[in-house]
Order: sequence, then C-alpha cells, then structure tokens
Amino acid sequence: MDLVQQLLLMLGGVVETLAISIFSLLLGLLIGLPLSFVKVYEKGFRFFVDGFERIFRGIPEIVLMLMFYFGLGMYFQFPFKNAFFTAFFVLGLRSAANQSQIFRGAIRGIGEEQMLAARSLGLSRLRSITSVMVPQVFIFSTPGLGSEYALLVKDSSYAFVIGVLDIMKTTDMIRAATYDFVTPYLAAALLYILLTFPIATWLDTWGSRRKKKLGL
Amino acid sequence: MNTVMECKHLWKTYEPHLVAVKDVSFRINEGEIKLIFGPSGSGKSTFLRCMAMLTIPDKGDVFLRDECLTKPEVDLNRARARIGFVFQHIYLFRHLSALGNVELALRRVLKLSKEESRERALRALREVKMEEWAHHYPAQLSGGQQQRVGIARALARNPDIILLDEPTSALDPELTGEVIDTLRDLAKKGTTMLIVSHEMPFAREIADEMIFYDEGAIVETGPPEQFFTSPQSERAQKFMTRLIKKTKREQDV
Repeated sequence: MDLVQQLLLMLGGVVETLAISIFSLLLGLLIGLPLSFVKVYEKGFRFFVDGFERIFRGIPEIVLMLMFYFGLGMYFQFPFKNAFFTAFFVLGLRSAANQSQIFRGAIRGIGEEQMLAARSLGLSRLRSITSVMVPQVFIFSTPGLGSEYALLVKDSSYAFVIGVLDIMKTTDMIRAATYDFVTPYLAAALLYILLTFPIATWLDTWGSRRKKKLGL
Repeated sequence: MNTVMECKHLWKTYEPHLVAVKDVSFRINEGEIKLIFGPSGSGKSTFLRCMAMLTIPDKGDVFLRDECLTKPEVDLNRARARIGFVFQHIYLFRHLSALGNVELALRRVLKLSKEESRERALRALREVKMEEWAHHYPAQLSGGQQQRVGIARALARNPDIILLDEPTSALDPELTGEVIDTLRDLAKKGTTMLIVSHEMPFAREIADEMIFYDEGAIVETGPPEQFFTSPQSERAQKFMTRLIKKTKREQDV
C-alpha cells in the first residue's frame, strides 16, 4: 500500500466519521428537542422520556451497536445489517437522550415568562414553542451542542467493531498493511482533534457572542 | 355604553389557603380607564391574569364583549388575541428585535402578510415613540424603552382592551415618566385600559375609576377624587395615606 493509497483510504475514513457524527447529531436533535419539551410541559409522558434517557445514557455505545447490528440484524437484515446505518442510528438515539437533557436545561433557563408572554398574544402552545422558545433554546444550548458534537465524533470510532470504514477502521487497516504501529495512530489522533475542536469552539464562541448580545 | 369586559363572581385559590381572587365581580366599558391598586400580595396580578385567561379561574365567568371565556369550548387563543397584556417585568422576546416582538403576533396570530405586519408594527412602535429603535434587541434598550415596546406589542393587534400589570414598578423613577407619557397618549385616544398601578398623580389625572383591592377582593371603588379626599373604608384610608406620603417623598427627592 503506497502513501497515496493510504491517504485516500484515510480520507474516506474522514468522510464516514463526519457523516456518522453529523447525521447522528441531527437525528439526536430531531428526537431530543421534542422530548425535552414533552418532559417540561407534558407531565403525563415524563415516565417515558425518563425511561428512554436512562436506557440510552446507561448502556455503553459499543454494547448498543453490537446489540443492534447482530441482535436486531438477525430479525431485520434491513436496515440493521447496514453497519453505517446502525452506527448512525445508535449514536443518534444516544445523542437524543443527551440533547434532551441539554435542551431541558435551556428551557428551564429561559423561564416560564417567555412562554407566558407568547400565550398572552394569542399564540397557541405549539406556536409559542416553535416561534419563541426553540430559537432561544438553540442559542442557550450552543456550548452543550458543541460538546455533544465532539462526543459523537469520538464515539463514532466504536463503529469500527461492526465494520464501518471510518477513521478508526482505516487506520487499523493501514497499520495491518504497513506494520507501522505509530504513524497511523498519530495521524488518526490528529484527525480526530481537527474534526472536533474547531467546530465545537466555533459553536461555543458564536453562542456566547449571541447570548451576550441578546442578554440571555 | 358598551361593556368591553366583565367578570362575575370570580374565584382563584392557590394551594392550600391563599385566596387571590375572592368572589370578584367587575365591569369595564368602552373607552374607560380603571385603575386597580392595593397592597402587594393582595392578588391584583392574579385577578388581572384571570381576566386575560392567562390564569384560569376556579369559579366564576369572564366575558369579553358578549363572549363568555370561561366556557370549556371557547378558543382561548382567539380570545387572548383580542386582549393586550403588559407585564410588570415586560418579558420581551429576547431573540427578536423590537420590531420582531411587535410583528410576531400580527404574522402568526392575525396571519397578516409580511408587508402589512411590518407596516402595522412600525405604526405601533411610532405610537410609543420607539420607531427609530425598531431594529434594536431588548438587551440594547433601557427598561423604559423596553416597556414601551411591550406596550406596542400589546397594542399592535388593536385589542379590545389593554390590561397593564404594574407597567412602571420595575423601572427607575426617571424611566417611569416616559412610560407614563405613553399611557397618557393612549388614554387621550380613548383606549380602554385596566391598569394595576401605584402611580398616584397619574391615576388622579387619567383614571375614570379607581379600585382598591385587598385580600383578594374589591374593597372600594370610586372616582380618584374620592380616594384622594375621603376614602370610605378604613383600609383604603390607611393605604392612601401611606401612598401619598411616599409619592411626596419621591417628588421631594
């Protein structure tokens, strides 16, 4: 395996890692945001949200991935035998449990009053949530979302056990082909740092600036 | 005279024994300005919120024009859209500019077009003399300016009535003046208003009727002069004496 091949392989790994991280962040958002509002405003459903959070925060990602890939995969070849799908799906659900907590903190921080003011204008509850609460919840949550993204990039490396060709897997393949036990791992380490740090920091800075401007 | 808002035998109790609204009946007609005052913790804010159906009363009826709002099948969002509410602590939407704050309900509740909402929002901001601040965020405005935006927000939908819950009591004395000026302008235009306030000189000037509220009930009502010269009830008398002293002290400073 020459250097160009190695680099191309690694590049493919970067794409897969990024794709898993970003898709699972989005899936987590799609599920986590409604969950957080359900937990705060719908007391009757709290039990379900709590259960969901406990399960997905309590079980290690690697156990979940193997469980979904081999266990569920036995009965539902499609979609769980697709390693990329299972990796993104599991991490997405785990992220939903985390993000639900992040957003809940934001909802509490923003306070009942914004909701009250929105309702006083005649906005429905759902409208008040989408037009008044959600935009502020996002700004409030940026530091948490930044760390969540960084966590997902790192945890996506577990996907290599079910065969996703991510940074971890390609690094391992290069290590096996070249018998170089140092450089590939150093390269992988550097890549993970490059993928996490700038975006997480940017989110944090953007959020802080926005918060300061809006007095949140 | 057309009755704009009315309530009959209204009750609201907070757990376990705090009765904030105790069998209150009240009516306000088109163009009238009524001012509620009384000790803090007496339930004035709760009463006002019950009138706007922001707090749901336990018993009794609230009417807006001829519509009973306390019936279960009433669309409260539609009813609230016809009532303007101004909060003591303002509660502007912090992620929206002054204009955005005023526009939101025009767009999302009245479903006006973008252009029409903008135009009406700007008109409302002009009425409170905040037009040139339209694109500033609440955090960039002073308390008095924020409250004027709060009033514009309540005003823009052309509500049947505006309820104001101590609109000046969270503001410094020098900022109070600008908000009072705004309310005076509204009064001149014949806006129907129910105001909870302790701004006595202002009350004397614009209120058609003053209402002394204590321990969850209306104790005494009458024209301002009655309260300034000869309140009937002992409690109102005591409270007025203290208020007038306090106002004098503030004016001396």
